[in-house]
Amino acid sequence: MTSIGTGYDLSASTYSPDGRIFQVEYANKAVENSGTAIGLRVKDGVVLAVEKLVHSKLLVPGANRRIQTIDRHIGMASAGLLADGRKISQLAREEGSKIRKMWREPLTVKALSDRISLGAQAYTLYSSVRPFGVSTIFGGVDKSGPSLYIVEPSGVCLGYHGAAVGKGRQLAKTELEKLKLSELSMREAVMEAARIIYLVHDDNKEKEFELEMTWVGDESNDLHLPVPDDLLEEAKSRAKAALETFE
Amino acid sequence: MDRIDMNRLKSGEVNLGTSIMAVQFDKGVVIGADSRTTTGSYIVRIVSRMFSMAIVANIYISQANRVTDKLTHVHDRIYCCRSGSAADTQAVADIVHYYLQLYTQSHGSSPPVSVAAGVFQDICYENKDGLSAGIIVAGWDKEAGPSVYNIPLGGGLFRQPWAIGGSGSTYVYGYCDATYQDGWGRDETVNFVKNTLSLAMSRDGSSGGVIRMCVITEDGVERLFVPGDQLPKFWEGREVLSAPVKKSLALAPMAIE
Amino acid sequence: MSSPGFNFSNAVRNNFLQEKGIPLPKATSTGTTIVGCLFKDGIILGADTRATEGEIIADKNCEKIHYITESIRCCGAGTAADTEFTTASISSNMELHALSTGRAPRVVTAMTMLKQYLFQYQGHVGAALVLGGVDSTGPHLFTIHPHGSTDKLPYVTMGSGSLAAMAVFESSWKPNMERGEALALVSAAISAGIFNDLGSGSNVDACVITATQTEMLRNFVKPNERVEKERRYTFRRGTTAWKTENIRSLIVSEDITPVSAGGDAMDIS
Repeated sequence: MTSIGTGYDLSASTYSPDGRIFQVEYANKAVENSGTAIGLRVKDGVVLAVEKLVHSKLLVPGANRRIQTIDRHIGMASAGLLADGRKISQLAREEGSKIRKMWREPLTVKALSDRISLGAQAYTLYSSVRPFGVSTIFGGVDKSGPSLYIVEPSGVCLGYHGAAVGKGRQLAKTELEKLKLSELSMREAVMEAARIIYLVHDDNKEKEFELEMTWVGDESNDLHLPVPDDLLEEAKSRAKAALETFE
Repeated sequence: MDRIDMNRLKSGEVNLGTSIMAVQFDKGVVIGADSRTTTGSYIVRIVSRMFSMAIVANIYISQANRVTDKLTHVHDRIYCCRSGSAADTQAVADIVHYYLQLYTQSHGSSPPVSVAAGVFQDICYENKDGLSAGIIVAGWDKEAGPSVYNIPLGGGLFRQPWAIGGSGSTYVYGYCDATYQDGWGRDETVNFVKNTLSLAMSRDGSSGGVIRMCVITEDGVERLFVPGDQLPKFWEGREVLSAPVKKSLALAPMAIE
Repeated sequence: MSSPGFNFSNAVRNNFLQEKGIPLPKATSTGTTIVGCLFKDGIILGADTRATEGEIIADKNCEKIHYITESIRCCGAGTAADTEFTTASISSNMELHALSTGRAPRVVTAMTMLKQYLFQYQGHVGAALVLGGVDSTGPHLFTIHPHGSTDKLPYVTMGSGSLAAMAVFESSWKPNMERGEALALVSAAISAGIFNDLGSGSNVDACVITATQTEMLRNFVKPNERVEKERRYTFRRGTTAWKTENIRSLIVSEDITPVSAGGDAMDIS
């Protein structure tokens, strides 16, 4: 970065002379330092998976979840600053209930993520605030079927078949591209998601991680729920086995 | 504490003393209304009679519009039938129209009838003390097909296969209960609406004029019009008092013993 | 020391007076006949010119056809002050609207502004209006009631004389009338109000609006002109006898001398 130290990176309300907002780019750095989060939009639902890095053996297993439920049928996985992710989920739940109240119908994933992206964008305009240090994957099933969106720190909001954010997103994306996502079942997607998370995890740099995985669709009766324990364990062991053949 | 009179109209207010109706059928809904709009100044006079005090409420009512269109568009396939205060129901319909445009823009698709009815209810319930509006919302949407919602005076919301409203409706509840059947097609439903409204208009002094109807289906909205001199006719009464008394020959003087 | 906030003592006094049978003063109302009528080339509006305060005629030749824009006009009945101010305020907003959109404003725009304004005041602004005009979408004619309800019809009447005027329209109106025929019908309708309704009277005003021009026909018919008095009731000089006569001059004259003859020249440095 050539312009570092010139003062253009001190505030989100200042452009650099070449038209960039450094604070937003720094926010993306915060995302890149985080464990990978992926989302798969398949035939009959959506699967969300997160590589949650455990930085201390003293932590209770399963603590500090990075996948949260927004509404009965919508889930959210975030990569980046954990606290910012929780703020986003609070915002999403509030906006969700407002939209629900106004139109008396379950909100769509698109309407929700569009709304959240507007809030994220507003935080790239003012010197008094810092852009969100998270990229968020919203997944759910609504009247238009399964849908998957990412909201980035810049406020960009796009729909995907397969989504990956965080440290290992490049490798995760190449793996996702190999899949025929729209033909996969939710159970198959769970296996693939676990495999990708295990694959992108770097054993040499990071010590421990927990695989967090939820789904929403036909298998879960259109509710956003954790993947059942037995299926999760099966996915884990298959992922580990696949890892050995991959290497 | 004084109870709020929900039926009261502000003095001189324009009133849709009305007969309105909506019925769903397999492919859509038929909605209908009479066309009378009245305005009145209310004068109460106390008249003393020989043996009793009679209170005569002299209500001078004149017609403000005899070809009113009470079937109001709020979206491509959603209409409402208005009864109560003309000003209130027009204002509410305008606001709902605005909200449904907002919905279409932000969702990129047409709102379902349930959403329209929900917005109507929100406004009618939140402002129940200030509004006199009885509204029937009807239309067709992708999710539920045809549907009819009734929002009576207090701001309740009820989904019904058929709904009637306005001052004229009280006269025809029995007719509707006795006549309506599930599984009708378009033409039977149109006839049902036409007959019901004609009966209501003939008994209710605040209803009358012509019948306007709309058939709302997936394909579009078709408007129907029945002129005042071509309304379906039913029993209209006959002279009883001045009819000649038939003389019976069987009359015989009472036997006296 | 006076306490802060509003002082409601007058409201208490007024309620007390009202209970004692002393009503509040009435506003000047235009007990009125106003009409509008669609014809082949546009719209004709009509109005009488009487303004009343109870049984007293406040103005024998007032104007009830108000300017909204060049091709949109509005007749007012009801509380005179309310019709004056609502039409003036909507006229102003229409001009601003025209300026900001760069288009000739439409009749429905004026109708929507008026109904939303009147609805906001829940009938307390007592303006009953007939709005007519021609815009890019053709001729339009509306009635707007004080509570904010509107009707769109080919011929309309309002005010206390509306029933007399409507009787004329219902018997004689037909579609696609020529200008002269329509103008005669409008003045017949207003005349029906003038002669049969006590709240209406004096002259007929009319306004013909077409796509190309607007003609304001002020005092189009004057059926109630005061005729020359048949007799004079002034008394001949000398009718009253007097004992003495004293004539004084009441004219005061003053001489004014300017302080300086030329005055100072304006400082333009």
